[in-house]
Order: sequence, then C-alpha cells, then structure tokens
Amino acid sequence: MTLPAIAVRTLVKRYGDTAVLHGIDLEIPPGQVSCLIGPSGSGKSTLLRCMAFLEEATSGTITVDGEVLGFSEHSNGLRERIPATTNRAIRSKIGMVFQQFNLWPHMTALGNVSEALRTVHKMSRKDAEARAMEQLVKVGLEARAGHYPSQLSGGQQQRVAIARALALKPKIMLFDEPTSSLDPELTGEVLNVMRDLAAEGMTMVVVSHEIGFAATVGSQISFLDQGRLLFSGPPSEVFGKPRHPRLEQFLDTYLDRGASMLV
Amino acid sequence: MTFDINVILAQLPAILSGAGVTLLLWIAGTIGGAAVGFLVAVGRRYGGRLIDWPLGLAVEVLRGTPFLIQIFLLYYGGPFIGLALDPIPAGLLGLTIYGAAYFSEIFRAGFVAIPKGHIEAAECVGLSQGQIVRRILLPEMTMLVLPPAINMAVILMKETAILSIITVPELTLTVSAIGSQQYAFVESLFLLAVFYWVLVEVTDKLGRYAEHRLSRYRFSPT
Amino acid sequence: MSFKLFELLLKASLYTIGISLVSILIGFTIAILLSGMLLSGRRALAVPARIFISFFRGVPLLVQLLLIYNLLPVIGLNVPSIVAAIIGLSLCTAAYQAENLRGGFASVPRGLIESAEMVGLTPSQAFRRIKVPIALRLTFPALVNEAILILKASSLVSVVGIVELTRMAQDLAGSTFLPLQLFACAGLIYLVINWVVARTGGLIERSLPGVPR
Repeated sequence: MTLPAIAVRTLVKRYGDTAVLHGIDLEIPPGQVSCLIGPSGSGKSTLLRCMAFLEEATSGTITVDGEVLGFSEHSNGLRERIPATTNRAIRSKIGMVFQQFNLWPHMTALGNVSEALRTVHKMSRKDAEARAMEQLVKVGLEARAGHYPSQLSGGQQQRVAIARALALKPKIMLFDEPTSSLDPELTGEVLNVMRDLAAEGMTMVVVSHEIGFAATVGSQISFLDQGRLLFSGPPSEVFGKPRHPRLEQFLDTYLDRGASMLV
Repeated sequence: MTFDINVILAQLPAILSGAGVTLLLWIAGTIGGAAVGFLVAVGRRYGGRLIDWPLGLAVEVLRGTPFLIQIFLLYYGGPFIGLALDPIPAGLLGLTIYGAAYFSEIFRAGFVAIPKGHIEAAECVGLSQGQIVRRILLPEMTMLVLPPAINMAVILMKETAILSIITVPELTLTVSAIGSQQYAFVESLFLLAVFYWVLVEVTDKLGRYAEHRLSRYRFSPT
Repeated sequence: MSFKLFELLLKASLYTIGISLVSILIGFTIAILLSGMLLSGRRALAVPARIFISFFRGVPLLVQLLLIYNLLPVIGLNVPSIVAAIIGLSLCTAAYQAENLRGGFASVPRGLIESAEMVGLTPSQAFRRIKVPIALRLTFPALVNEAILILKASSLVSVVGIVELTRMAQDLAGSTFLPLQLFACAGLIYLVINWVVARTGGLIERSLPGVPR
C-alpha cells in the first residue's frame, strides 16, 4: 500500500452554527487525478481549500505526503496548531490553481511565475526567469511572457497561473474550479494543459463541473452532497449504472458539461 | 492660559443669528446648486453641442479654481461689471454657482450609469416615455445620485465658512468676532470646530440612513 | 493689467505649489500611519484614528487653519505662520488620504494574497511585494484628485498672512483697483496648475499595469 498524497481524516468545517463539511474521510492516491464533483454548495471547494490550509478546519486532520498540515490532533482530542514555518514547508509540496486565477496585476506573466522563485527560493533574477520561461513554454505562452494579466485572455491567465504553481515543482496540484470563470470556448486550452500534466503522472485534485474531463481523465471520482462524501471510486464504478439517485439528479443538470456522454 | 468658553456662550443671541445665516446659506445653496446643476446636466445631455460645450467649459473652470477666488471675483469684481451685491446675496449666489458645477457632474454620472437595457426593458413592456422617466429613471437616479449628493452637501456646509472672508455675517464671522472682542479667540475657534463637526456628522448619519432605506432599489451597474 | 502684475502672480503661485506639495507629502506620511491604525484591528489604535479623520474631515479647513495658527503660540510654539499653514493643510489632507489608503488596502482581492501564500511567500513578503503595490495603484487616482483639492484649498492659507497666489491677487487688487482682472488671472493660473497635475496624473496612471476593479 503506497502512502496517500493527501489523507483527509474526519474533517469537519463549520462557519458559526452551519456545518459545511460533516466529517470527510478521503485519500488522494499519488500520481493520479482525483476529481471532486457535486452540486454548488456541496462543500467541494471548501474541502480543497482545507487541503491547502487556506481554510482552517474545525476538527479533523489533513496529512500531506505523510506530514500533518495545519493542526495536529492528539488522541485526547486536543488540537495543536503547527508552526507557520513548518506549515509553509509542507505546503510547498502543493501547487494551487484558483477559479479567479489570482494573478498579480502589477507583474507580467513572467514576473508572476518567477516571483516566488526569487523571493522565497532566493534565486537570481536570471535563473528565476529562465525557470519561469520553461514553465511558460510548457503551457504554450512563451510569447506572452512580457504581458500583464490585464492584457491576457482568461484562458491565458489561467495557464500562467498553472505555470506559476508548476515553477515551484510541487508534488501535488490542486485545482479549484479552474475553468468556471472562463468563456466556454476558452475552457479547452486550460483542460488540455491539465490533461498533459495528468499524462506526466502529476498528482492532481480537481474540483470541477467539467464532468467530461472528470470521466475521461480522473482515476478517482468523489461525489459530495451537502457536506458529505456520498461515495468515491473509479469513474467506471461511480458513473456506471445503476447510479445513486443524487448523482443521477446531478448529472441531469450537467448534460451540457459533458455529462451527456454518460447518460 | 485660561480656557473659558462661557465668555463666548454669553453672546448666545448673536451666535444663534450667525448659525441661522449659516444654515440658511447652506440649505438654500445646496437646493439651488442641485436644481441648477440638474438643469445643467440635462442641458448638456440633451441640448446638443452648442449648449454642452460652453457649459462643460464653465463646469471645468468652476471645478478647477478655488471657491475663495470665485467669491472674490464675484464680490470685489462684480461691481465693475454692474453687479454690486451685498455680502449675503453674493455669498448665496457664489455658493449656488459653485455647487451647481459639482452637482451637474453628479447628475451626469447618474444619467450615464443607468443601463440602457433598463429603459429598453421598460419600453418593451409598454411604458410610455413619461412613465419611464417617473417609474424607472428617477428612482434609479435617486439611488445612484444620493451618496455623492450628500457628500456634496457636506462640502457646501464647510464652504459656507469661507464666506466669512467677504464679511457674510454667518457663524464663523460672528463667533470669531466675539472671540476677538473678548480676547478668547482660541475658545471661539474651538466652539466653531465643534459646531461644524457635529453638523457634518449628523448630516452624514442622516444621509447614510436615507441610503440604507433606499438600498433595496440598488442594482449592480454593469 | 500690466505684465508686471502677472509676473507677481506667477511668483506667488510658486508658494501655492510649494506649500501644497509639502503638505501632500507630509499628509501622505501621516495617512500611512493612520490607515495602519485603522487596519490594525485594535480598537485602541483604530478609534483615535477614526476620531482624527472624522474631525479633520468634519471641520471647515478655514476654521482648522485659524485654530492651529492661534493655538500654537498659546501652547508655547512660536512658529512662522507658513509652518502653521503647512501643519493645517497636512493634517487635513492626511485625514482624506488615510481614508483613500484604507479603501485601497481593503479592496485588494483576498485571492491575490492567497495565491502569494500558496507559492510560499511569508505574510510580510506578501504584504510588501503584493498588497502594498496593488493598494498604491488602486489609490493613485484618488491621490491625484486629493492633490488638486489641496492646491485649491491652499488658497485659504491667505487668511493667516501667507502671500501665496490668492493673497497676492487680493493685495494687488486692493492697490490697483483691478479686482476683476487680477482674480480672473489668479483663477486661470490655478486652472493651469490643476490641469497639468491632472494630465500628468492621468499619464502616470495609464503607464501603470492594469489593476483589478
């Protein structure tokens, strides 16, 4: 049994009195693409953000590559915050891609990709930009290196954001609805970059409404509904008939996102 | 140093009269400025280039020069072109013209910000032009224009103090005059500061309350 | 109106520009402090900053200037009137600029800081490299606007005896009986100065890379 890339144990997330995640248990296998699907408000993005420790879980633990991230939990139920420097070191194994791209508007594409290499890894400007350029080539945007985010299309911005995450050589890539704020004709270029990445054996966790992508590229599909993980398994199992009625209902509303091929 | 605000407050009738002049100038100047500003905005939008251009120039000049210079020009320069006004009318006229320039820009922005689609939607469901103005344009304008208009009213309140320089017997002139008579200038200025501060804060709070009451009409401009 | 008079006005306008520039710079420095207090999340810091801002935005500048001018000698500070004038203008513009800065910092999208966090920037690196530059770009148009407001407001320092543009026009109008020409000329000079500031500001703004709204 190989060590899971990320292990989520009885994760609970509450905002005040409302629980968004009710005790999630999930293992992300290394070298594969895991997809989190589910209706809006099912908690899938929150779960992903907890994996990156952008959200603090109320209870439960996140283990990344065998190391506990954020809070450790003792057997007596006591939670202990892990020092920020340790968290930062563990988190450096994770790359994250956001729905809103979150590129820094005052830096060029190259600047965005090389920023952390220079400020965090203290690389020289020349070396950092050389490595950043490699990543831009990889996402097919070397010609746009000197452009500012405002001069790029949404699809191009998201590819730069992927390059920015990849430049730090993460072991795991998290994608939070990477195509949800893109025009339909621009989702393809981003999904293609993600497919290439999957083919290289990158461990990926993808929150997406792109059912077609999940069914064809994903090795593990996890279906969340109202903060609960209803089931998780290979696509043949999850999408194979007979299906859980909630999934059936969900797929019906996503026919135009590639779900029609499954119906 | 002694700090005795009572020597100022002893002259309450004079202070009240000064406060009355300030409030009167402020309210009249704000209403007048808003009314003229609205006409200017309408004229610039619908009057064609021959009206838009000179009015636009006037607005830019008024917005680009200090209020004090405008007042000096009107009060000291006026008599040379046959416009000899007493301090109060001169002050009121100056305040109105100055306010009108800024109010016209507020209304213009309001016109522009109402999406064409809202009017098209009203036309499609069969509203007449008059109905569209009354039922769609004006309510939407009010919501858009209210916050900057309240802000402008507050600015005009503070500008009335400048009229003391051309001897308008408003609050600043009255109270500072009492202050120098009684050798209590600092006290008089403290009193003034507090008066304006309270008035501005109250206006601001009332404005926010009105905005809040109207906020259900708010839409997200596209 | 002779060229000599115009020349005097132009010379006096250098005072207007100088006083405004110094006040805006001092005001900006104070504004950084105030906005830091507002955003500190500590009531003991935020409340005094809020009272300061409310006071200097709520009291007419004329009253502020007279108060500072007359208060300083009373508390034992005998400074030249130009210093009192600059203090007054600086405190006033600081209040407005602090509000601008607070708004700028508050409108930096949270996601831009999250993405910095995810690539390993420490909170202080994210603040210096991401938050500050974006907030400054967001507030730049308001800063230009504030500069124009202060240039106009500086006309009020004439009441404490500073012979800047407005006071010079006033003095000359008294001695030459040409108020119409002199105040019109002074107004024109203000207009030109403000136009130059607005244009330069606009050019700088356009040269800055795009910023999210």
